[in-house]
Amino acid sequence: MKYRITHSTVYQYTQSVGLCQNEARLQPRNFWRQNCESNRFEIYPTPTDMHPRIDFFGNHVLYFAIQQPHHQLTVTAISEVSIFPKQNTLDLFNQLSWEQVRNLLQEPVFQGQAQSQQGQTQYQNRDPQATEIMDARQFVFDSPMVSVSSELSDYAQPSFQPNRPLTDVVNDLMNRIYKDFTYDPSFTTIATPLADVLKYRRGVCQDFAHLAIGCLRAYGMAAKYISGYVETLPEPGKTRLVGADASHAWFSVFVPGSGWLDFDPTNNKMPLDQHITLAWGRDYADVTPLKGIAYGGGQHSLSVSVDVLRL
Amino acid sequence: MSNVEPKAVDLGTQYYPTQLGIYDEMFATDNKALPYWERFMAAIEAMGSENLELRRREAQRLLRDNGVTYNVYGDAQNLTRPWQLDPVPLLISSEEWAVIEAGLKQRAELLNLVLKDIYDQQILLKKGLLPPDLILGHEGFLRPCVGALQQHQHHLTLYSTNLARDPKGRMWVLDDRTQAPSGSGYALENRTVMTRVLPDIFRETQVHRLSGFFKALQKGLVEIAPHNKENPRVVVLTPGPLNETYFEHAYLAAYLGFTLVQGGDLTVRDGRLWLKSLSGLQVVDVVVRRVDDTFCDPLEFRSNSQLGVAGLLDVVRRGNVAIANPLGSSVLENPGLLAFLPRLSRYFLNEELKLPSIATWWCGQRRERDFVLQNLDNLVIKPINRSGGNHAVFAGGLSSPEKELLRQQIVAKPHLYIGQERVGFSTLPAFIDKHIEPRNAVLRNFMVAVNKTYAVMPGGLTRISRGKDDFMVSNQSGGISKDTWVLAPAPDKPISLWSLPKRNQLINAVIEPLTSRAADNLFWVGRHLERIEASARLLRTVLVTLRELTEQKDPLYLHCLQVLLPSLTAVTGTYPGFAKGDPQLLNSPENELLSIAKTGNRKGTLTANIQAFVQAAFNIRDLWSQDTWRCVDNIQRRWNLRVTHNQITIEQLHKHLDELITGAVAFSGLTSESMTREAAWLMLDSGRRLERALGLLSLLRSVLVQNHEDGIQSQLLEAVLITTDSLTIYQRRYRSFIQLPMVLELLLLNETHPRSVAYQLQQLAAHISALPRSADKNQLSEEECLILKASTDLRLSRVLELTQIDTVPGHYFHLDSLLTNTSDLLLRIAEVIAESFFSHSQTSQLILLNSREDDL
Repeated sequence: MKYRITHSTVYQYTQSVGLCQNEARLQPRNFWRQNCESNRFEIYPTPTDMHPRIDFFGNHVLYFAIQQPHHQLTVTAISEVSIFPKQNTLDLFNQLSWEQVRNLLQEPVFQGQAQSQQGQTQYQNRDPQATEIMDARQFVFDSPMVSVSSELSDYAQPSFQPNRPLTDVVNDLMNRIYKDFTYDPSFTTIATPLADVLKYRRGVCQDFAHLAIGCLRAYGMAAKYISGYVETLPEPGKTRLVGADASHAWFSVFVPGSGWLDFDPTNNKMPLDQHITLAWGRDYADVTPLKGIAYGGGQHSLSVSVDVLRL
Repeated sequence: MSNVEPKAVDLGTQYYPTQLGIYDEMFATDNKALPYWERFMAAIEAMGSENLELRRREAQRLLRDNGVTYNVYGDAQNLTRPWQLDPVPLLISSEEWAVIEAGLKQRAELLNLVLKDIYDQQILLKKGLLPPDLILGHEGFLRPCVGALQQHQHHLTLYSTNLARDPKGRMWVLDDRTQAPSGSGYALENRTVMTRVLPDIFRETQVHRLSGFFKALQKGLVEIAPHNKENPRVVVLTPGPLNETYFEHAYLAAYLGFTLVQGGDLTVRDGRLWLKSLSGLQVVDVVVRRVDDTFCDPLEFRSNSQLGVAGLLDVVRRGNVAIANPLGSSVLENPGLLAFLPRLSRYFLNEELKLPSIATWWCGQRRERDFVLQNLDNLVIKPINRSGGNHAVFAGGLSSPEKELLRQQIVAKPHLYIGQERVGFSTLPAFIDKHIEPRNAVLRNFMVAVNKTYAVMPGGLTRISRGKDDFMVSNQSGGISKDTWVLAPAPDKPISLWSLPKRNQLINAVIEPLTSRAADNLFWVGRHLERIEASARLLRTVLVTLRELTEQKDPLYLHCLQVLLPSLTAVTGTYPGFAKGDPQLLNSPENELLSIAKTGNRKGTLTANIQAFVQAAFNIRDLWSQDTWRCVDNIQRRWNLRVTHNQITIEQLHKHLDELITGAVAFSGLTSESMTREAAWLMLDSGRRLERALGLLSLLRSVLVQNHEDGIQSQLLEAVLITTDSLTIYQRRYRSFIQLPMVLELLLLNETHPRSVAYQLQQLAAHISALPRSADKNQLSEEECLILKASTDLRLSRVLELTQIDTVPGHYFHLDSLLTNTSDLLLRIAEVIAESFFSHSQTSQLILLNSREDDL
């Protein structure tokens, strides 16, 4: 499956902005389920300074600065991405219970190796699974926007039945979030705390992803946040509207032996061939698609359009 | 053992009440004082407690004169607290110091290697030498900084520890300061003062000097510059005057010859860091930061921080600026690391730790967590993160419910907590209430990476608790500091911070760029100073007239007052005041006059202007000479002591006004005698000139545009001349009756009289054209045009025309409109100066450009 994604953001200011610095995470990353064939940016005014890099989580980041006065900034990213619909169905039959996963994640992976390694600077990768677990561990802890609380753990509790396989737990949790929560863009902003989302049972995809992540971490699971896009199909008999799509977010959970499995609580399904991944991190703060700091500007308004076109 | 009766001579070691079971610095483990302490105590015993108390007070006076303060949070009224110094230093023998120094160097090298590993290859994590949870779960581990370190031998440029001794006399490291260690400036100031108050004892004791360390500090910071290695620009980044150790930021910047900046003074362009100065952007090579790392770059860390500069970390990544210490180094301040240092020392250095850390159990490991929970009552529990108002608690002192809550917190997120042994620190003699008493002490050390090794300050900042048996040693809780004397085997040679050129040669002077923010503050120092002087002078004139009225009962004075009182309201801007002509207020003006002098939270009063003046001056503390700062401090201290916080009568006010005017004049004199005629002085004086012209115009307008009968008129003219300190000149010049045309000639048009409007405009024009600016020099700038217009209007006016009475009875119409127009022009000039010189410094609005993922 191949898609062309056009993601356009326009900032308009009532007063001139003399300088702005930005970071874009708008280039889809490559991994086993997807390959980014091409990616280009169209930015106006043309940035005088650009610096691409790879961040801590392996996402592509473009730093760019507009150094001349401007009243409007347009950032468009155009990417072509191939998706391989090979959701490993065997993964879903992974029967590790959530308690087993928790113990695996808690166990000191390397204990006993510490003493005898003096002077040895070369890292030897003896056990790939151990490395994977160690890497997953940082997704168990609190992160800037997701802090584990007793409310989260209470909400998640019915899903965490004793000895239940983790994949079942997550499926159940996703299902409950889908049913219990109302999708309501008017309710939350970027700054709405998770506690409010939980209390009022409302939010958008970003909130639902954070919520699920918090629930999983409350029980010692490793969960990460994925930002990306999802293909929307027009209702039967209607024509497809260009630019009416939006950026999307879901979460991924670590199941030893299977790796990271994605779940989309907003749509109550596991991504297969309609989800395009941009970046991942501990939560939204790690993978904000476009952020910037502008000096001056007075009031500003923002408009975003996303188009996901199946090629 | 406090049953020792004080005697006349009571400073000897025999009167020192040591406590059982506690190690004392003076006695060590024996019953007899150590020989070098014995000598020191004998010397102060010979001096006697009264004499020593005098020295202690002298030290406090010197510290206060030098402006050594420590800001206390949450105390807006009395924000700056004078620094407390005990005249008895901590003495350390050279043998013992050698051991401490070696231990500190080893620890610095070790932490440097840990820092490098965490932000580079992470071998310690991969090999399991450090548990991932300890690092990856710590707030100080900043993911954007991974891979951003530069190619230096040492990444941990500055390093500081707190040391204390246990009851057996062993030195322990309590904690490590690795992001922006503070205190070295206070240590230096303590030493400076001690050598003045105890010069003989200091000389005879052979103490290691501190200047060598500061020379190393200067060199170490210059060394890390990625570019311009010959002559890099180093800036000290401060959070600003409200920060607790702002004094030190300004002091060190001035002492080391670096530029003191705030986040708003810097900008990132073209992948480099720049300083916004009056003469344009200047590239910055090294940042010594006193701002916590997540506040340094709003783009990559806390987006609401105004203390840093957006894009800074990306400049670091590109290798275009060095930061001491690098962003992310607070990861080393994680107290959980203490438990792993012995293992890491063996791994990296193949050595045992020379200086042990205080016993620490990190709860992220099951065995350690269980130990901590079982021994909760005997341990100090600390969160590994310092943010979020988390503090160390001694669990034994908690109530049962509190203890249970703590236990739950630990069980819920064990990797966020450590348990630490509760150590009773050693005591040392302190001079408290004219007695020598034991106090618990903590020693802070300072190190800098230089020449491929670490230089350790031979000495440090010793701090003691205020009360006996008190273990809280912190500045926020009002602790006292001590100098630290490391004894040298032979007299130490003084080292100058100045480098000596090989032979006589002329070095090009470096003209330190003036930041736009500093320029802004200088301009306002000038303006506030002038407001103080103008208000004080007019208020004094009013008081004199009031006294004449009381003594002579002549209605002439009453008429005068009815003009002068509203004029005072106009000149000070303390509306409504007398401006409405309220007869009751005009007949008994005393309370309002006192309020204009002393009310603090009222716009335009003397107290408010003095506050604003001192605040603006404090914002640029690093630019003033010591004498000048003393002068600034005196103005406020005396006024607050004698007027603001005092019950005074209107009669007493007069002499305080005299003193205030003298203080203001002294400041003007000092600055014009000690500042080079460069940007800083030009800005300061421009502010003064502008404000003096405005004040004078306001005075003339409010007193003179209305005609009065001859007697009152000449009395008012005299009042104006006295207020503007021009009566003598007038008398010498005109030798006749006081008349309006001549007064206007002198105060408005005369370009040689330093108190005339014309003179202010002429000076202002000269200053503005001498200021550096990037724009085209061939064309007059907007402010130059406005000044030219104002002074041309003055020159073209004729005194006799101005003094013609117009159709409205008793009103000098032409004079009024000239004064009003000139005043408007000056206000516009002030705006334009702000726009063209300080626009950089105006807090730029920070817009967060985040979009939400909000669909589906």
